[in-house]
Amino acid sequence: MAGEIRPKSKEELEEMKAPYEEYCRKAFDPGNECSKPVSLNGIRWLSCTMYIFTPHSAGNLAELGAEVIKIEIPRMGDAMRHTSPFNEAYLYPLHDTRPMTGTGFGFMNANFNKYYLSMDYHIPEMRDVFYNLVRQSDGLTELYRPGTFDRWKMSYRTLQEINPRFIYVWGGGFGYGPKVFGGSYDILAQAHAGFASITGMHDFMGGHCTKSSNWVMDWGSGTLIAYGVLAALHWRRKTGLGTMIEFSQVQTSTRFTEYAVPLYGRFGIVRQRWGNWDTQLCVHGMILCGKSDFPDAENPQDKHDARYVMVSAFQDADFKELCSVIRSKELYEKYRVCKDRVEAMAQVDIYTALEKWAADKSRSAVAKVLTDAGILASPVMNDREVYESEHYRQRGTVRWLDDPLFGDVLLQAGYSAGMLSKTPRRVNWIWRPVGADNLTIYRDLLGYPTSKIEEWYAKAWI
Amino acid sequence: MPEKRDVEINSRQDTLKLITPEIRPWPVSPPPSPEEVKKVYGKRKAEEFGQWLEDNMRLEYSFRKAESLQGFKVLDIGLWRLGHKFAASLLGQAGAEVIAIEPPTGDPLRQLTPFGREEYMLADKETGEKCGLGFINEMRNQHSITLDVETEEGQELFKKLAVHADVVLDGMLPGYMDERGVGYRQLSQINPRLVYCSVALRGTWGPMKDRVSKFGQWELDPFAQATNSYAHNTGFPQDQLPRGKGGDPTRAGSWVADYIAGEQAAVNILAALYWRDEFSGEGQLIEVSSAEALMDILDFDISWYGFNASIKARTGGWDPNLNQYEWNPCRDGYMMIGGQSDRLWYRIGMCIERDFPQFGRLIHEDPFLKEVGARNALHALIKTYSVTTRWLREINRVEAEEKLMDYEIAAGPILFIDETC
Repeated sequence: MAGEIRPKSKEELEEMKAPYEEYCRKAFDPGNECSKPVSLNGIRWLSCTMYIFTPHSAGNLAELGAEVIKIEIPRMGDAMRHTSPFNEAYLYPLHDTRPMTGTGFGFMNANFNKYYLSMDYHIPEMRDVFYNLVRQSDGLTELYRPGTFDRWKMSYRTLQEINPRFIYVWGGGFGYGPKVFGGSYDILAQAHAGFASITGMHDFMGGHCTKSSNWVMDWGSGTLIAYGVLAALHWRRKTGLGTMIEFSQVQTSTRFTEYAVPLYGRFGIVRQRWGNWDTQLCVHGMILCGKSDFPDAENPQDKHDARYVMVSAFQDADFKELCSVIRSKELYEKYRVCKDRVEAMAQVDIYTALEKWAADKSRSAVAKVLTDAGILASPVMNDREVYESEHYRQRGTVRWLDDPLFGDVLLQAGYSAGMLSKTPRRVNWIWRPVGADNLTIYRDLLGYPTSKIEEWYAKAWI
Repeated sequence: MPEKRDVEINSRQDTLKLITPEIRPWPVSPPPSPEEVKKVYGKRKAEEFGQWLEDNMRLEYSFRKAESLQGFKVLDIGLWRLGHKFAASLLGQAGAEVIAIEPPTGDPLRQLTPFGREEYMLADKETGEKCGLGFINEMRNQHSITLDVETEEGQELFKKLAVHADVVLDGMLPGYMDERGVGYRQLSQINPRLVYCSVALRGTWGPMKDRVSKFGQWELDPFAQATNSYAHNTGFPQDQLPRGKGGDPTRAGSWVADYIAGEQAAVNILAALYWRDEFSGEGQLIEVSSAEALMDILDFDISWYGFNASIKARTGGWDPNLNQYEWNPCRDGYMMIGGQSDRLWYRIGMCIERDFPQFGRLIHEDPFLKEVGARNALHALIKTYSVTTRWLREINRVEAEEKLMDYEIAAGPILFIDETC
């Protein structure tokens, strides 16, 4: 019967009585993920991918326990391995033959737990080897221009004949249509499909369209592919049949613009940028404070930029309290009603008053005064502060990993994509050199003799 | 089709008066006909494959096909945020039966509309009640019911629903459902197969878990962007734009952290369902938070701090990892250009050199810029983009795109919503 809840043991009774926070802490148990099973046990996925967008889709599955085989160009590897912020963070080596070249941090986070195979699959002699992999795998992600894999007899049309349970993903920029051959990158998606046009300061604030700090459309689209793959797996459980997924990265950007598209479609109004404020709520924005929290710090990010606070007081009672904190009765009298506050000119008025009040205060002082008054406010944190935050540390979403190859690596990803109490995500290793698992896969999985593998290696076919 | 006209475009201002129904088909550009698309595939000698795609993948055919998640039942309860709503939409769009549960007063998100403009809300046909577009946009394929879980009766009804559900999406405050006896702890007793997913802002537990103000106001998205370093790292540095005029940490235009959390929640839910159906028969508790889900995809930013104590700075429209890979102003807006490998890098240069021969001398012949990795140094970015912008400032977006497309370079202008649709 619904509603009757009786604990079956003493432990269960205690579990039922524990404060919710404690219960969650125990259920997720950060740090002990590896003692639990994985969700995608037994799934083997092939990944003919580069950069971030499509590798992340396979990486997401690998974090959930699928066995992902990443196939790279022999000796060169994924182009993303050759990127690093300002060229300063590398881990060595890239490949046996290139001891002085490293893999840059641009490769980080999209490639956890994968097995690294190298293969030049466009060589006809290697095609059978590729087909043998397909026979033993559940699916594939690829990002070549449409028709390329078809020309090589590696598209879904061919592979479904070999393995009818095969799930095939093409991830690209534009998808079926007149721009189908257009190449795409994360910032092209941000630029081309609306997201950039609504991000950044408005012209009258003196600003420009602004790029997200991260490759948000690459990552966001990759996750959506992983979602599509899982849906296809559920479908396959019922029908025994694979499917083909076609994913256009550019369209993710349009989907992430909230009301912008329906507003245009219905009323012809083009949504513009609105800086650090919110178009639908006020007060709900970031303000500049007069003083940095760390005026003596050496790092300019601490010294000059620890000056911003996110403030939110859009409900009437909160706004009233905020006005009394900044001692501006007129402001409250003028904008008592929620609807009046959110008007554009009202927002200019209100945020100007707030910044004026904060002009002689430090970031932490502003956050503290407001928080003490019961209003929501929070300093805008930089990477160091996120790293040092007790919150993420306790939740295990920022933690150090002792990587089997590279030693201590600070992780911000993997665990932060979500906690699962019984089959948690995990990070076993960040990445391996190009072709590190060639022997395991060619010899142990596919059964090719070592001599053959050596021959391919010498010819740079693998 | 509207007729062609000669117009002079010097800035975006000049383009605004062109956005009229006569010039631009509105509300949306019509989709291309199969014949038009066929020509495109023909250019690459892929007509046959294009035809196969046409026959199998065309959007219009979706409705005659089966749905992958049919049979799954999802309950979605929550207020204010988009995370749980986006997850519910995704599940609903793939065929799950989704029931969105609101309190009798409705989700406050219904009341939100840009700048408080009621004229941009849609009115219910029968009741005349107005509803914001943002809310409607996130309610795809969901059934709407009201239920008051504050009352005992409501809680009983919720349990009766949850007995038959595969998934519960919880977008309420930390512990809210648990306190009312309808959280995972209690529901898993009556339905051990239940997958229960909390979608929070920073988490339902931990020192910085989701807060409410003294007056009951919820913490909503830009807080997630502000507390995971996304906002700090986004925007222009002060040597490009002054503080207060764009040289500041910047939030995304939308509540992007919520979207990221929503899609990641949907992934985790489907993985948990897979494990349940394939292996164990057991449900489980999941938690996704907006701040962490966005941090998960914040490139390598925090790992970089662990590497050498670098705190990522803002780089505006540029990217510190790749060159070229940026957008810069052109005559009537902004132009994005990307291509890092030698092959693409030199092709971009060849394209620019056609109009602006100095580019070759200044950039291609610079020995420092010949090495792929070295090009990512800050001074290399500054030099490359200064010279590129010298070219861009003379031409408008359409011209730049056409020129770059001749060389098959991934490039495109920043488009506004009307140009996108």
